[in-house]
Amino acid sequence: MKISPETLNDAALIAKVKNGDERAFTLLVKRYEQTVWGFAFKLCRNQEKAEESYQDTFINVYRKIGQFDSRSKFSTWLYTIVANNCLMKRRKRKLDSLLESLDVAPDMESEDVQKQLAGWDDSPIETMMNKELREQMDAAIQELPSDYRVVFVLRDLEDKTAEETATILKLSIPAVKSRLRRSRIFLRHKLHSLMTA
Amino acid sequence: MKRTNSHTMAHIHTLSCGKVYEHLCDNLDSQLDSESCRRIKAHIKGCKNCSALLDSLKKTVTLYKVHPAPKLPGKCRQELFAVIKLSGGKKNTTR
Repeated sequence: MKISPETLNDAALIAKVKNGDERAFTLLVKRYEQTVWGFAFKLCRNQEKAEESYQDTFINVYRKIGQFDSRSKFSTWLYTIVANNCLMKRRKRKLDSLLESLDVAPDMESEDVQKQLAGWDDSPIETMMNKELREQMDAAIQELPSDYRVVFVLRDLEDKTAEETATILKLSIPAVKSRLRRSRIFLRHKLHSLMTA
Repeated sequence: MKRTNSHTMAHIHTLSCGKVYEHLCDNLDSQLDSESCRRIKAHIKGCKNCSALLDSLKKTVTLYKVHPAPKLPGKCRQELFAVIKLSGGKKNTTR
């Protein structure tokens, strides 16, 4: 009985791509393009850059599929390519003083910190999401250095585990946790003024 | 350690807010259930400030989660296949 390529699992499909099967490659693109697009867009928050990243990623896959070690997950390899693509395009920025300062616990009883903690709007998220907030969120996430942003996107938006994130980015788990922590606190800090208005 | 107004009477200071702050983000991942995690959770439950900070961190993450991304433009796949000179599956080259 002839097996339709659409029903092949990743390993079988990739084996065909490695043998130069173009149709198998197009199926692989269709299977993973939403993943690549979604991840690229969340990293860039810019349609044009995400389109560029989508194309560069699959061109890399096409050219380098022979290097893919089939013992690991294809999606992990794909995430690594998108992340490297994004990190290469953006010059690494030195951590600014705010990000570094987030490692130090604030004095929770001080007046300034009390102001920072008080009054986050408890309205439902759906009713809060307006143009101004979306723009502020886009600006805030783009202020994060890309090697921090990629950890935040993988862990919190793509729901990858700390272990998967560490594998994708070739980082230690403590490094993933530290970057995630700084990123979350940084973004919270950046949204604070809108959330208490 | 002094007790402050932001802590309930039941909240015994077995941990400082500073120590909890160091682990606050781990606490967003509620599957953690170690002894130290239970102590952190107990602290947060009785501490208005740490609780407010944790809630606002969770809200920050939720906002980004629901922040919509546009759909993949249809032209992207065609452009990709044009660049690498593929037919986009129209021509069956399966061996």
